[in-house]
Order: sequence, then structure tokens, then C-alpha cells
Amino acid sequence: MRKLGLAAALAGSVALSACVQTKQYADMQFTPPQGDYKLLVLRPDVTVGSLTTGGMVEPRADWTDQARSSIVDALRAQQAARGGKVTIIEHRNEIPGVTAQELADVERLNAAVDESIVVHKYLGDYLPTKRGKGLEWTLGQDAVRLGQKTGYDYALFLHGEDQVASGGRIALGILGLAGCIVGFCAPNIGGQQQLDYASLVDLKTGRVVWFNVVIAGSQVPGIKFGDLRTPQGATQMIDRLLGRMKPGTGVTKGVVVTDDPAAKH
Amino acid sequence: MKLLTGLALLGTTAALSACGSLGTGEYGYSDYGLVHVTRVNVGDGQMSVVAPRPYNRHRRILFSDVRDVEDWTLNGPILDGISFVSGMNNNRELIRQRRTADQQVPRFRSDMTPPEITAMLESLYRVKGGAVDLKTLSLQPRPFLGANGFQWDYEHLDQDELWRRGRAVGAVIDGKLYMILLDAARSHYYDAELPDFEAIVASAQRRG
Amino acid sequence: MLFGGAAAAASLHTGVADARIRPEDMVPLIGPGFRPTEKDEMGLWKEMDRAEEEISGSNLVIQDPKLEGYLKNIIGTVGGPAAHDFRIYLVRIPDFNAMMFPSGFAVVFSGLLLRMRNEAQLAGVIAHESGHFLRRHMIRSWRDMRRKTDLLAIGSMLAGIGGAGAGVYLGDYVQLAQLGTILSLLQYSRGMEAEADAMGARLMEQNDYPPIEMANIWEQLIGEETASARYRGKRRRRGSLFDTHPSEGSRMVDLRADAQELTVAGKAYDSRRQRYLSTIAEIRPTLLDDQVKLNDPGASQYLIETLAQDGWNGLLRFYEGEVWRLRNRPGDALRADQSYAAAIAYPDAPADAWRWHGIALMKQGRAAEAKAAFARYLTMKPDATDAAWVRQMMG
Repeated sequence: MRKLGLAAALAGSVALSACVQTKQYADMQFTPPQGDYKLLVLRPDVTVGSLTTGGMVEPRADWTDQARSSIVDALRAQQAARGGKVTIIEHRNEIPGVTAQELADVERLNAAVDESIVVHKYLGDYLPTKRGKGLEWTLGQDAVRLGQKTGYDYALFLHGEDQVASGGRIALGILGLAGCIVGFCAPNIGGQQQLDYASLVDLKTGRVVWFNVVIAGSQVPGIKFGDLRTPQGATQMIDRLLGRMKPGTGVTKGVVVTDDPAAKH
Repeated sequence: MKLLTGLALLGTTAALSACGSLGTGEYGYSDYGLVHVTRVNVGDGQMSVVAPRPYNRHRRILFSDVRDVEDWTLNGPILDGISFVSGMNNNRELIRQRRTADQQVPRFRSDMTPPEITAMLESLYRVKGGAVDLKTLSLQPRPFLGANGFQWDYEHLDQDELWRRGRAVGAVIDGKLYMILLDAARSHYYDAELPDFEAIVASAQRRG
Repeated sequence: MLFGGAAAAASLHTGVADARIRPEDMVPLIGPGFRPTEKDEMGLWKEMDRAEEEISGSNLVIQDPKLEGYLKNIIGTVGGPAAHDFRIYLVRIPDFNAMMFPSGFAVVFSGLLLRMRNEAQLAGVIAHESGHFLRRHMIRSWRDMRRKTDLLAIGSMLAGIGGAGAGVYLGDYVQLAQLGTILSLLQYSRGMEAEADAMGARLMEQNDYPPIEMANIWEQLIGEETASARYRGKRRRRGSLFDTHPSEGSRMVDLRADAQELTVAGKAYDSRRQRYLSTIAEIRPTLLDDQVKLNDPGASQYLIETLAQDGWNGLLRFYEGEVWRLRNRPGDALRADQSYAAAIAYPDAPADAWRWHGIALMKQGRAAEAKAAFARYLTMKPDATDAAWVRQMMG
């Protein structure tokens, strides 16, 4: 059985040592959240290995806890600087009024949407109907209902390598041949690799309004990129991922935006 | 159905030597071509349809694709897809498979009744698509291309834990299978695309 | 895990026959309420907690309180006091396997329920799994590996070799949740599998199950693999259900010896077959369906014939027909119909048998008989999802 070895495919795009790349896509009318907004961050997958610190993986509870709290701290700090209220949930049953199953369903749809964005925006397999149009993907009513039930304006999904690899088989019509033969893609290729991506969903519309992928790779093992277990490393990762949110192309071109007061700045 | 070797190709096209080149952006080669809003032939040309809006058509991959099958998508095949079978002959198969593979998808036979055709599709989903569960919602007669055909509604759970829903409309005419099939994530995408699918089915014509 | 460690086994197997481990030497190394105190073991438990969260939220979990209660009972009995409060997840995966995690939960694949012929066999599998955690195999295995390779052993394991690379077929489902990652932690050496076998046999005997049933499991599995391989011809399929363990045959031999040693003359043992069969009766059609739809005719046919040793019935004849129909080679349509015709002679024939029989009659031009068969189908399943089509066929 084959899987989409997205990290494997993405890894091909990083050839030199000590290279960090990041590329954002945004909805045409997107402006980064500012001021008084409520952001829900879902289950940042921060166990060591999930956020791919390459082959250096040990099942150490202390390391896991360190990385987890570093990421969460960095997230809070970064979002606090922007204003807004951030809630970071770690388990699916932590949101009152929303069942774990409902949340799981949203997460799974989001994973499928994010995978599509990676494939069709980042890996070059572009869809002609979406070309040059920023981001045109949505989670639909499930996300809107989540927003209505919880009162949050945005949801941020942080993904680690594992999520990509566990995307699994896809529907009829496209049977992935690429990927790994053994049945499970080994995310580590050669040197250390760090692959993270984040998607921001506007819960009023259900649309994915912003997306970013960060790859930090090294051909020389031992060169570490911001060890996620340390506050500096975590801050660095969060900063690369979320810190430099740029508005959508429609905004910078001076196109009239929606009359959403939050958009005016 | 198509075997997507595109990702394998992408692995190479995306490997550029300079840093700062994450992805090739939206230029150059893509596995998808644009379908304009006009009458187009699908598959090997024995059927034609009109799309109500521009679609993305998956390009044929030599040697690994089945001639009579063509796939379209709006948001990418992980989320949605419309597939066409344009007059498949007796004893042909929907996908290429190794003869020695132990789990085989049955071949199409001209004397297949709709339950047998849907069983063949179910096999395709389970054996090749990795679906862990597939439920028929309904199977009913429906005219298609001027013949007495069928409509099959179904749902399946896949290995990414996502439920997908589908509808297939088809008929066997002169011993050949003609079919149009919509398969999409049950949440949002199926409902959003169903009107397009119905418009495409209504527009379908046989050629030659 | 019942299957595992082929790679490890291959690398550690010196070629010298290992002495059989004696069941009486197998004592539990942990008691109820155990919690790890060492860092690496705590780390392992954290991984397992993550896995459990994913598994419990998976769409594959079969929600059936009766079955869960039944399994919990067996686990509580045979698994020893430590297993009393284990959480059970029965998942819809048509492969033969079960696993127990020291952090307090067990995963049972539905394919296991299909293949076991009585409660003793099921208990044997669970007892074997209990052996793994009662003897602390996971952490011992990890430390062994670590010492030997002195490298990022877990890294390479966790980086996704998973079961497939180590010669264990976990189906496509290994991708789900964290199963792939966590199961790679369950690669036990051949010595540990032998320990678990011995401990399992002992636990079985202590609970009045005939310990010989554990050896019978292997006999059945070897039979299934042979049938599956024979059907495929000489070439073995990559990632097969059981990559041939050198130990399979010898495990059976050892278990037979264990059984002889443990069985107390004059004591009443009970395999509790009837209770098992009645408990799984409701889910059995689903299990057969999942198996048959894998389109592995060799294995499916073998399984059906094995189950038929308890007596043919409508359900089994029907699925026999399904195997042929799905294989769809020349001549299979006729074979299938013979099975459907046989199935409908039994009172428990599923409604679908009537429909397929009707379709076959229709193709043979026997319209009146076909109509009668379809009518029978609709009577049995008035809300059939394809009723509209069937009615049209009836004219």
C-alpha cells in the first residue's frame, strides 16, 4: 500500500545544507488577525518526533514535556503581542459544548484540506482553476458550527510530520504511487529535517484564510535547527511559522475588502 | 482510474538546487489541465459532456492509465473528484493491476447487472483505495444516455478517517459501460459539487 | 503483539535450537497499579497515551457494549489482576492480531474474532498478550535494542519502519492514528515471544481453559497462510498476513509440549465454544463480509471451511458464494450460484443470497423463478437500499 510521502516529496526541494524556507499563501482578502479576536489553537502536536526533529527521537517524557510547553509558551507570547485571546487545547474533550467526535471530524477534514493545499500549492501540482487566486479552500459548515458553538473567530491548526504521513489513502481516481514502499514513510532523510505547517481557518466563513509551511533542513547531521525543546528553538519555529503573516494579495493591491471591522487597520 | 505518478514526478521537479525555492509555485508542469465551459470529449472520446464551470482534468499518464477513464477535480482529489468511464469494453479493467497481485479488482463484463457493477466499484474502493468500510445508500434505476441505467449512492470511510460520499450514474449500452461518478468528502464537498455533477450528467452524450 | 519481531528474530536467531521455556518459570514481574519510575519507561508510556487518545477517537472502533463486556471479562480473568481495569478497543480491522499496552489498554482486531473457534482460543491470545506486559517485554526490548545498537534505535523504529518493515502485516490500517509508530515498539524478540507463549499457556490452564487450544491457533494460522500462498502460486506477496516466522512451526511444537506439561489429569477443562459462538453471532456476518471483501480467495476460502467444521449453514454457504463471485474468473459465476443455491436451503440464509440467486436465474433466462427469488429478497428486506432496482427487474 502506498502513502503520500509528502515530507519525502517536500524534502526533495531542499538540497543545500543549512537552509530554511518558508512560503505563505493567503486568501486574497486576508488580513492578519489584529486587535480583539479569539483564536482557538487545536492540539499542537508537539511530542518530539511529531514535529520532526529528524532521527533524533527518544521517548523521553521530559523532552516531550519541554517541547510541548516551549511551543505553547511561544504561541501564547506571540499571539499576546498581537492582541486577541488565545486558547490552546491539548485534548479533544477540552472544549465545552463540543464533543470529541465533532472536533475530530473537523480536524480530519482540515487535515485533508491542508494536504490538498500542500500538494496543489507547494508541490507544484497546481490546479489550473485555482492558479494565482491565493487560497481557495474551505472547511464548510462544520467549521462555522464550531465557531458558533464556541465563540471563536479563528482556528489555528498546527501540524507535524506525522499528520502528513498519516494522511493515508485518498479517494477513487487518484491512487498514489509516490511515497514509500514499506508502507510507512520514514520522514527522516539523511540529515535532520524539520517540517511544520500551519493553517488558519476563519470560523465565520469556514475558509482557510492563511497557510504556511516551514522546512528547515540540513544535509549535515548534527546541525540542529532551533531545538524545539528549548524556548529559543520553539520561539524561532513559531516566529517562522506565524510571525510574519502577510496580508492577501487582494488587500495589498488596494482592492476593496469586506466590511468586516476587524479588517480595517 | 488514474494512477497518480505525479507525486513521484514532483519529487524530482521540486528538487531545485537553490534554497529559497520552496515549491515551484504555480508554473511549469502540473498534472492537471483546464477544462473550459464547453462541450468536451472525455475518456477515449466515446462520450462528451459540458461542465457548468471550469474544472481541472487529470492528465493521462502513458502506460499506466486506462484509456476509457478520465478524472476531474475542483479542489484536488483528496477532497473531491468526478470520474468518467466512456464506453469500456467487455473484459477490461478500471485500473491497471498486476496479474499476480493477490487482491484483484474484478474486470467489467458486458453481462453485468448494476449490483455487479457496484460490487466491482466497491472492490476498487476497498482493495485499491483502502476504504475500510463502504455502505450502499441506494441503488435505483435511472435513464442515462437514452438507455435504462442505474444510479448508485454510497458512502465510504477511508484510511485518513474521513467519510466520503459518492454517486455513480451509468448504463451498459451495446455491451459497453458508460458511467459518471462523483466522489467527495461527505462534509461540505459532496453537497457543494452535486449540482455540478447533475448538470454534467444531464449534458452527457454518446459519440460515435 | 501476537506477530512481531521477524526482523529481530532473524537477526538474533543463531541457528541453535533454543530450549523451550517452561511455563512454571513464568511469573509476573509487575502487579496491579504498577506505574513506571524510570525516564525511558515513562517516555514509552507517554507515547502509549498519545496512541490511546487517537485510537479511542478512531472511526474504526466498534461500539458494542456486549462484546466489550465479554472481552473485558476475559481480559480481567486471564490477564491477571493488573489487567482488571484495562480499557478495551475492538477495532474493525480484518486482520488477526491483538495487543495490550502496559499503560492500561488493549486493542483487539475484528479479524481475531473471526478466526478463533472458541473462547479458549481467544483467551489464549489474550493470555499471550498479557504475558508480554506482565513480563515487561516492551521496556526490556527497548533497552536491549538500545544497548546493542547504541544508536537512535527508537528513532529508526519510530521513524516509521512500522510493522511492515519488520515483517508483520498490519494492513493498510497501520497508518491510522499512531498505530504505526506505537506498534513498532512492539517488536519482540523470539525469546520474548516464547516467554509470552509459555506464560499464556500457564494463565490459560489456571483459568480452566484447555492449554492445547493455543497450539491449535497456530495450526489454524499456518493452514490459512499455506492456503493463501498456494493460491498465489510460488510468489509470496509482499507484506503478507504472516511473514513466515521461523518460529511458527516450533512455537506450535513448544505449545503442544507446554500443554502436555500443564494439563492436570482428571481436571475438567472447558473451551466454552457455545458461549463464544453465541456472543459473536451478531457480528459474524460483518466479520465475514470484511474478510471476503479483501478479495484474498485462498485465505477466505480456508477460513470459511474451517468455520464450517462446526457445521455448514446459510451464512457460510453465502459467503462461500461471495468469494467466488468476487474472484470473478471464468467459471466462478457458476460456482458462486451453486453456493447461493445451497445457502437458500438453510433457514439462516441472508437476504442477499436470494438476490444473487435471482440475478443468476435471470441470466439463465429463468424469469419466473428469478422473480420469485427477488420477491423473497424483498420480503426479507423490505427497506433494502436497492429495492427500487430489484422491483424494476421483477417487471
